[in-house]
Amino acid sequence: MSETRSITTAGAAPRALRRPPARLHHSKTTKRQARFGYVFVSGYTLLLIAFGLLPTLYALFLAFTRNGAFVGVDNFVRVFNDYRFPPAVLHVALYVIYWLISLLVFVVLLALVVHAIRVRWASSVSRFVFYIPGAIAGASSVMLWLFVLDPTVSPVSALLNAMGYESLVQVVSLDNLPIVFTIIAFWTGAGGWIVIQYGALNNIDPEIMEAARIDGAGAVKTAWHIQLPMMTKWISYMGIMSLAAGTQLFVEPRVLSQATRGVVPDDYSLNQLAYLYAFRQGDFSGSAAISIVLLAVALVLSAVFIFRGRLFESD
Amino acid sequence: MTDRSQTRRRSTTPRQWVSKILITALLVGFAVFFVLPIVWLLIAPSKDGRQLLLDSPFSFGSFEQIGANWNALFSFQDGVFTTWLGNSTLYSFGALALTLLVSIPAGYALALVEFRGRKLLLMTTLIVMLIPNTALVLPIFLELSALRLIGTPLSVILPFSFFPFGVYLTYIYFSTAVSRDLLNAARMDGAGELRVFAQVAMPLATPVIALVGFFNFVGNWNNYFLPFLMVGGQKVPVQVGLANMLANVPQFNPTTATSTVIELPTLALATLLSVAPVLIIFLFSQRFLVEGMTAGGTKG
Amino acid sequence: MSQQSSSARRAARLLAGTASAAAGLLLLAGCSGGTSGEVNNEYGFATAEQVADSPITIWVDASREPAVKAFQEANPDIPVEYEVYDGNAGGSGTFQTKISLMDQAGEGWPDVVFSTQQNDAIWASQETNGQQAFAAPLNKGFIDDDYLAGFADGSLDYSTIDGTVYGLRNDLAQDVTFYNKKLLDEFGYEVPTTWEEYAELGDKLAAEHPGYILGSLGDSFMTYVYYGGSESPVFQADGTEFSSDVEDEHTVAISKILDGMLENGTLVKDSFFSAEFAQKYADKLVAVPGPVWYTGAIFQGALAVPAGEIGVAAPLRWEDGEIETGNVGGGIWYASSHSKNLDAVKQFLEFATSAPEFQVEASSGYPAYVEAADGWLAKQAETGYFVNDDFQQVMSDAAGQIWPGWSVTRWSPESAWATVVIPGIADGKSIESLLPAWKEELDNEATVNGYTVK
Repeated sequence: MSETRSITTAGAAPRALRRPPARLHHSKTTKRQARFGYVFVSGYTLLLIAFGLLPTLYALFLAFTRNGAFVGVDNFVRVFNDYRFPPAVLHVALYVIYWLISLLVFVVLLALVVHAIRVRWASSVSRFVFYIPGAIAGASSVMLWLFVLDPTVSPVSALLNAMGYESLVQVVSLDNLPIVFTIIAFWTGAGGWIVIQYGALNNIDPEIMEAARIDGAGAVKTAWHIQLPMMTKWISYMGIMSLAAGTQLFVEPRVLSQATRGVVPDDYSLNQLAYLYAFRQGDFSGSAAISIVLLAVALVLSAVFIFRGRLFESD
Repeated sequence: MTDRSQTRRRSTTPRQWVSKILITALLVGFAVFFVLPIVWLLIAPSKDGRQLLLDSPFSFGSFEQIGANWNALFSFQDGVFTTWLGNSTLYSFGALALTLLVSIPAGYALALVEFRGRKLLLMTTLIVMLIPNTALVLPIFLELSALRLIGTPLSVILPFSFFPFGVYLTYIYFSTAVSRDLLNAARMDGAGELRVFAQVAMPLATPVIALVGFFNFVGNWNNYFLPFLMVGGQKVPVQVGLANMLANVPQFNPTTATSTVIELPTLALATLLSVAPVLIIFLFSQRFLVEGMTAGGTKG
Repeated sequence: MSQQSSSARRAARLLAGTASAAAGLLLLAGCSGGTSGEVNNEYGFATAEQVADSPITIWVDASREPAVKAFQEANPDIPVEYEVYDGNAGGSGTFQTKISLMDQAGEGWPDVVFSTQQNDAIWASQETNGQQAFAAPLNKGFIDDDYLAGFADGSLDYSTIDGTVYGLRNDLAQDVTFYNKKLLDEFGYEVPTTWEEYAELGDKLAAEHPGYILGSLGDSFMTYVYYGGSESPVFQADGTEFSSDVEDEHTVAISKILDGMLENGTLVKDSFFSAEFAQKYADKLVAVPGPVWYTGAIFQGALAVPAGEIGVAAPLRWEDGEIETGNVGGGIWYASSHSKNLDAVKQFLEFATSAPEFQVEASSGYPAYVEAADGWLAKQAETGYFVNDDFQQVMSDAAGQIWPGWSVTRWSPESAWATVVIPGIADGKSIESLLPAWKEELDNEATVNGYTVK
């Protein structure tokens, strides 16, 4: 692995690579490095503390207290006993599975395919076309989905009718929702990730690819043995992000709830439930409890990606 | 040698054809998937409310109708749509500048500079990215309220500039695309840290700057919840404005007696106009992405 | 090695220290109080320190913006700032969300808020987390009793909690019976006056003129029209006790009627605003019970029925009962108890609810203030849309005949109808068979919203 990496930046100063660094230089440079390291991250760290760390700690605080008084796990118990909690867990779990699979499989596949296109304009047009839906978000998409999912007016009505649906209400029945949301989320989210993975593929030295081709590797073998391993960090990152996005499912159900005027319930996902707790029931502690549960689950699942993808290693 | 390659080319041709067809089919299939609803959306403003419901989805209405919908959109609340677009521009570009200023150096340092607390920062960033936004909203509101910033553009720009996703992207990019040895070489040649960053790392960073900038801009442009809570009235960005507009569409809100009625095609036009800047920026930054890639990825 | 770990520990300690210090600051910020103190005898609640001529902030939706503009024109010396928001449309909860954040921060409240929903008084009248209730009591000396008496009977019920009025009603949405005179004459039918006659008309239509309809069940507000308008005690709240009786005779009777009409096709499952409805039923609506705002939104808007065809008749009742009609909507104006210029607030509230410049000229809803309503009806008569001249009398009578038995609660009854009944009937089930599931959902919703189910 490290061999190939040094090849990618070869040409800069091959001789310098082999010269062992002097001990004196080493300690001076590391001290200087450390100082500048802090300088470089200072701005971000400030924002991280203000808008990330402190709010997270506050949420933790809220989750274990009620109106300022410590109540242990009461909030969690109350939330788990809510009749809306188990269905919401199921909904989110199903959605995360579908979402993760579709993203990991299709995005990587499409990125590989787009990258393999030799014709320059076709490549950029494809990337643009795949990305366009990602530009539409939230309120803008409400009316779009109101129409696209309604078999009587949809541009894809032929498809919906073929699947046996005759009305909007049937399309958005509770059983179909995980798939519907996956489709919506994929439609809006895939394009951006394809661009990122495409960029990651571009970072792979074409000389390696050429070498593989000369050695007789077909497209699939090249992808499997060369491209994918070099994209590990990027794919892991995508995995983690899609876990986060999946567990935090909020926008799509909210959009559909508005579009169908309530037929899709507004407590479909756990994140929505957290919202309702905070802003409808005035129960910020319960809301924080749900959020902490979501965080814990996402953390545990991401650990898989972090360690298998060696995300924290700097080299 | 020539003989072998000739035979190879001949024997792989049929297979190449099949794979070419498959690939094209795949691309076209997905292209249709992504584009079909957009085409519908593009055509929608040319119809009026009833035509949208009754005519075929891909039938074109009329140009006059586009004009009528345009007028309806811009006369809504005396042209507040323009104000919304202006607000979105201010917030998104303001946050973009701050984000790049803050995130690129941070990602670089996390990837290529030795300092204590590196892993701690990475870990914290990850955790913060995984916690649902709902939980963070109240504390952020309280902080900004204590600083008397609620209702001002800063209350939107500052949180928008916190972009852990971008920092991570930069970190991954720098740790995979740029070698430490390259930097160490420059250091040993006597370059100070700032010079190493500015003259060695930055030129290689164009793709990731374009990427981070783009995603930050789009995320902020499309963000509804944060500006919804922080500002109101004339200061809202276009996403919040669209949601307010939605409240005046009878299909979505029949029970409120409204004298201001917005029809669906007008809403479609508003959607397209609010999306256009994002697409333009995408096209613009795509150039840098591709250019930068070929410049930085291949060497020697 | 040891150097590394000790600095790492130092860094961690520093981080923890900063974090807890700042967290403490956050808590303090959250605990800063609003208006706590002596009850102002003049107004009947604890007011903030009054600052004469301080600008008031008003939150309205786009349709009520004309009210603020008209007020500014009529009263140029009163400093008014306003923000247009979504008006809480579709139960978005914007009003409550923003106010709850401001309550936590202890500052930033607007002075007047208009909400299109009817149940905001319930949460706005509660003290939360030590913060005084947002909505100011209006009948304890703030607004004159004479003025309050000028509202239609029962119109202030939704904003009255335990005898205290917290909001002024902007418009009413009383149900009446709309009919298409052209079609009725053509078929030789009479306008139905009771629910039983409505059902019979359905049978006749199905037998003699299939394809013609008497309404739709595809919208979630039908729960108000058919159940609220038939004295069905499906949504009853008494303080914090909730009960839903789906076995009551009225509930069962109306459900049977609805099922019969669903079956024979005179009631459809498509929403009034859907493509299906526009395609198939636009000119086939013979008669329908519904709120007065159907005039604009449905007849003139969605269905584009020309003038001179639609008439307005008295609301439907049970054969053996009095008229107790339903109500579907009606916005409410709230005053903030934290306001620093209650004089200006009072002037604005009275203007907004009764001034002809807004309620007659610029409002599309039936005004709740009786005097303004008369003016509004006269203006409607000028357009000559309705077939019968006495529609004014019909509407104004119905305004005072709204059934007081339907309650408002923290949450909307529409969500249960939308998630249980609409999908159920789309699947082909009968409403009567869905009644237990509907009740269960209502009871569950009540529980999570803090009610005890009786």
